[in-house]
Amino acid sequence: MTTRSLADALRAASDEALAELLGLRPELVSPVPADLTQLAARATTAPSVARALDRLDRWTLQVLEAACAGTEAGSSDAATYTAIRALLPEATDEQVRQAVDRLLTLALLWGDDEMLHIVVGAREIMGTHPAGLGPCLQVLLGALAPSRVTAILSDLDHAGAAADHQPGSPGAAIDAVVAHLGDPVQLTALLGTAPPEAITLLDRLAWGPPIGAVERADREVRTATATSPVDWLLARGLLVAADTATVVLPREVALHLRGGRAFAQAQPSAPVPAGTRRDQVDRTAGGQAFSFIRATEDLLEAWALDGPAVLKAGGLGVRELRRAALLLDVEEWEAALVIETAYAAGLLGQSGELEDSWLPTPAYDAWRADPPEERWARLAEAWLRTTRLPGLVGSRDDRDKVAAALGPDLDRTLAPEVRAAVLAVLAAAPARTALVEADIEAVLIWTRPRRPSRLRHQVVEWTLREAERLGLTGQGALSRPGRALLGPVSTGTTAADAAADALAPLLPEPLNHVLLQADLTAVAPGPLVSDLAHALALMADVESTGGATVYRFTEDSVRRALDAGRSASELHALLAKHSSTPVPQPLTYLIDDIARRHGRIRVGAASSYLRCDDEGVLAELLADKRSAELRLRRLAPTVLAAQAPGDIVLERLRSMGFAPAGESADGAVLIRRPDSRRTAARQRPPRLVPEISAPSANLCAAAVRALRAGDRATNAPRGAVVRGMAGLGVLPRTAAAQTLALLQSALDHERAIWIGYVDQHGSVTERVVDPIRLEGGYLTGYDHRYEEVRTFAVHRITGVAALEGVVGADEENQDLPDRTPKPSTRVRGPA
Amino acid sequence: MTDGPLIVQSDKTLLLEVDHPLAQECRLAIAPFAELERAPEHVHTYRLTPLGLWNARAAGHDAELVVDTLLRYSRYAVSHALLVDVADTMGRYGRLKLMNHPAHGLVLESSDRAVLEEVLRSKKIQPLLGARLDPDTVAVHPSERGHLKQVLLKIGWPAEDLAGYVDGEAHPISLVEDGWTLRPYQREAADGFWAGGSGVVVLPCGAGKTIVGAAAMARAQATTLILVTNTVSARQWKSELLKRTTLTEEEIGEYSGARKEIRPVTIATYQVMTTRRKGVYAHLELFDERDWGLIIYDEVHLLPAPIFRFTADIQSRRRLGLTATLVREDGHEGEVFSLIGPKRYDAPWKDIEAQGYIAPADCVEVRVTLSDHERMTYATAEPEERYRLCSTARSKTAVIERLVQLHEGAQTLVIGQYLDQLDDLGERLGVPVIKGETTVRERERLFEAFRTGEVHTLVVSKVANFSIDLPEASVAIQVSGSFGSRQEEAQRLGRILRPKANGGTARFYAVIARDTVDQDFAAHRQRFLAEQGYAYRIIDADDVMSDDEV
Repeated sequence: MTTRSLADALRAASDEALAELLGLRPELVSPVPADLTQLAARATTAPSVARALDRLDRWTLQVLEAACAGTEAGSSDAATYTAIRALLPEATDEQVRQAVDRLLTLALLWGDDEMLHIVVGAREIMGTHPAGLGPCLQVLLGALAPSRVTAILSDLDHAGAAADHQPGSPGAAIDAVVAHLGDPVQLTALLGTAPPEAITLLDRLAWGPPIGAVERADREVRTATATSPVDWLLARGLLVAADTATVVLPREVALHLRGGRAFAQAQPSAPVPAGTRRDQVDRTAGGQAFSFIRATEDLLEAWALDGPAVLKAGGLGVRELRRAALLLDVEEWEAALVIETAYAAGLLGQSGELEDSWLPTPAYDAWRADPPEERWARLAEAWLRTTRLPGLVGSRDDRDKVAAALGPDLDRTLAPEVRAAVLAVLAAAPARTALVEADIEAVLIWTRPRRPSRLRHQVVEWTLREAERLGLTGQGALSRPGRALLGPVSTGTTAADAAADALAPLLPEPLNHVLLQADLTAVAPGPLVSDLAHALALMADVESTGGATVYRFTEDSVRRALDAGRSASELHALLAKHSSTPVPQPLTYLIDDIARRHGRIRVGAASSYLRCDDEGVLAELLADKRSAELRLRRLAPTVLAAQAPGDIVLERLRSMGFAPAGESADGAVLIRRPDSRRTAARQRPPRLVPEISAPSANLCAAAVRALRAGDRATNAPRGAVVRGMAGLGVLPRTAAAQTLALLQSALDHERAIWIGYVDQHGSVTERVVDPIRLEGGYLTGYDHRYEEVRTFAVHRITGVAALEGVVGADEENQDLPDRTPKPSTRVRGPA
Repeated sequence: MTDGPLIVQSDKTLLLEVDHPLAQECRLAIAPFAELERAPEHVHTYRLTPLGLWNARAAGHDAELVVDTLLRYSRYAVSHALLVDVADTMGRYGRLKLMNHPAHGLVLESSDRAVLEEVLRSKKIQPLLGARLDPDTVAVHPSERGHLKQVLLKIGWPAEDLAGYVDGEAHPISLVEDGWTLRPYQREAADGFWAGGSGVVVLPCGAGKTIVGAAAMARAQATTLILVTNTVSARQWKSELLKRTTLTEEEIGEYSGARKEIRPVTIATYQVMTTRRKGVYAHLELFDERDWGLIIYDEVHLLPAPIFRFTADIQSRRRLGLTATLVREDGHEGEVFSLIGPKRYDAPWKDIEAQGYIAPADCVEVRVTLSDHERMTYATAEPEERYRLCSTARSKTAVIERLVQLHEGAQTLVIGQYLDQLDDLGERLGVPVIKGETTVRERERLFEAFRTGEVHTLVVSKVANFSIDLPEASVAIQVSGSFGSRQEEAQRLGRILRPKANGGTARFYAVIARDTVDQDFAAHRQRFLAEQGYAYRIIDADDVMSDDEV
């Protein structure tokens, strides 16, 4: 044997094999290890192995477990290929061989068929009882007192064993017991004599866990005195005491009971789900894809006009989601899917204004101009790749908080992987075959049995319903566009392009005409070209959607179009152009009627008005340049509107030599007098409080002390006037070099300084410090805020400013004449 | 992509493109389970409702057939969710059955115990049920049959009523088809009704609903109670029955304000049935007076509330509702369905017209511009006065006179709401006026004179809205109405839809005041007819005044 360790094995491996290993276990190269010894060490650690195992399918894991169970008594870390093979009688040679090769490639096993070593991490993860098997007899008996082994041996003799051992040598006694119980013929014979209760007990332990709790497990039992089934088994070594309270079923006995198999259900290949053939898969998918594009567009069009607010905690309010569902006439989960998919595709974003709201992004405009199949491909791909789970919307987390659509709680890193896995199962099924959820999940469990599965069940369910809604599947089977999106891509194209190409023939051809009817409806018997659709949506209300769209013309809808700047003749021309039948007369009349009344009443804003029965005066006013500032406009011969407020207009007119009078809201003339003002109503003088008795001297002294103390705490020396601080409440801010220089100079001159300091919570505080020492990037000084000596990291000091008038910080010396702070210079610090 | 005539919308409406070659075939295929909602010129709208689907189940159609039909005729892919919903909805029908138990009488039986448990827990249903007979069966008080069915329908578990109907007192009645025959749609309607046991037949005015009633009576061969809107209508029913069936004068009784005859076939008016004496509906006993085998509700959309309530108690009797427009402005269409029975037959007006059984009609909205004075009065009026002011505006009079003059020689009805206006018109046109206070005798005399051509023009109030058979009326001028009532508009049009001897087109004018609520109400009133394919033309009053033709 030249390979003595995994490192040796890796050293011996080809470059390609190493590259493959690193490719399969990417966590080994981040960061890149220094040498192969380090790589080997890393590859055998439990966390790294666990990640590798997470990617294994059930069968490979079973083979690894069998390897752990197949280790020889002498070497607990290695098994021969033959031993592993023997434990898996259900599988074919090829299946076992492939799995072993894969484990070798992954460096979970190393060595050759004679000695397949299992890396330590894997053994740790597989636990003490791999495949539910206990240790072998050799190990178990070795731990017993030699007298017990001898007793067992002699009892087995009694039961008919050959007495060819040398009593007195414990090793020999163990070997004899092992040989006796390891012989299938003898074991069968022995079990044949066992009482039924003992057999029941063995059967219970046979498939693991192989241990049982028994009181005084290590007691002395002999066949002669054995009364209970446990005693019967202990006396014959069919159960062995592991410690005072536990008995273990030896591996040899368990395997004998299992018929040599390591697993009750070895699963060498993935379950093959039975599916149902569907005949309208692509048609259905096409319909769903189309309606999904449409829903996305409808929603974003609506939100473009009235974007819902972004919640404080992020995301979309429950009520807004409900509104969206109502708008789209779908269930809430579908609305959430539409919203999240648009978000993932970059079509929806936050406005970023003060009153933040959800709005379509500029990318939406580009998207809208694309042909429908490309629009779909973009959405479908975004859905496929997103780490967000729209299905979580509306669920409650551990703290009973509802997950909001577009909110921060929807991200799950594994989501795209599970989604892809579900669709891969569908893709593996024959074309146009629908699979049920449970079957898909069974395959997933086989493929990745170790993946955390708390959410998996739900994600599978969500993936299926969402894929159906999006049109990746139709009638539960993968559609052609869906397959193209998942599938291998031929060079020179992308999956999205291929999917779009596959979808294009399934989508209805956009129409350029509608059917107008006398009941004031218009029916578009298919999707419309987008210009026409927008024009119609402006002038008519959508009544029902689906393959076709029904529009209804109402007074409001026509008025809306007129408000948006369309003229009646434009509307007539549009209808005439796109109607395949003559425009019904009631519709023509409706438009003309509304147009006739539209804008008959005009509303504008003015700040004041002027009226005068003499038209000439108003004309004069208008002509006068001095009135230009008032921005007057003639509304009627005797009425002017002014943009300037009434009092200014009055003022100006007076200065121009007119004698205007103010008018109140109801038309009465306002009488003006020089301002003589009054308070608000009913203010009474404050009630006088009778003089209170003088406080005692003690009380006064205490009060003064308290006041002084409080004063010092809050104001001194921060309260001093800060030199050069123009901006009040602004923290000092200096460049790093300058900071150091200032600190040094303050230290030299023993001057108190004022610093801005970022504490470990990231919040900025300001401190007043008397510097003591400056070394190793730390400033030590007396912190006035906390009244103790503290250390400050220089790199966290945002800036330094000098304080005026304070030298030193000795509290007792602060008898400067005027310590009263100027309120305006006080900097409010955090409490 | 198939090119079917049907488009299935996500809101469960079905759009049928009528010009499509497969349209007729598709119409027949979807008719059993989809309700016709609108039938304008190009695209007809049907709707899938739970009620419609359950009726289809009751008539023996299963979900598979419905799904299959939708898929076969649909132009685009049908959403899976909708198909699942259809199957689910139809699957709810028949889990509960109303049966006649040999020992316990009427019982509610369930094939799905969970459903029965759910139903039994409903607070609304508990009081209607009796003792639990076994885990799947609960006794039902016979008088609560209708009420129970109604409530079950409301909570979404419709019961299949297999308890059957009482035959009632037998009485021989048969049709006398001399010189006339039952029209195909009348036969289909009568057959549809009979197969379903109870229900409503919807046919346009003038399409011969009375005959459908007579045919139903001939199928029932039992004593019949007929409820009609008013005395004149009662007399018309009587004369029609005498003409069309073997019934004789002695067998038909009239139960009205004037006469109280109870005979094997009794015709009663809604008015007398709902007359209260000391707070008691004295005449509702008529329902129990005889062992009626069939009850016919004419103009069922007008069914008054007390009769509604009473109808719930007589669910074991066969009931036939007849109407032209099952639109109730009070929105109680659903109650008509659950108490009288589901819609058994419905035909678009235009279809009947195409078959030549009703006259084609040309509907014209004449817009009158009010004088400045009228506009001022209107603008400053109290809101509740506004409709009366604008619909009775003087400016209309000249236009109406002109219209009557244009159609000189044709049998013309001028129909209005406000008596002052009608009296004024009568005076100016020099023609008789029929209104509420006109005696029955006088009314009949005038109608007869109109029928014979002795009188060419009549001014009528809303008393002539219904069931007045005036075959030769070919022009109707509506001057005012009861606000936005869609069914009134349809009924009034119906007055002139009897096929004309000369095969000519009927003319229906609605004279309305421009830019007032009159115009808004008119738009609403016309909606039902527009949805039935009657496209209104709009013309200006000035054109009427200046041109020789309209």
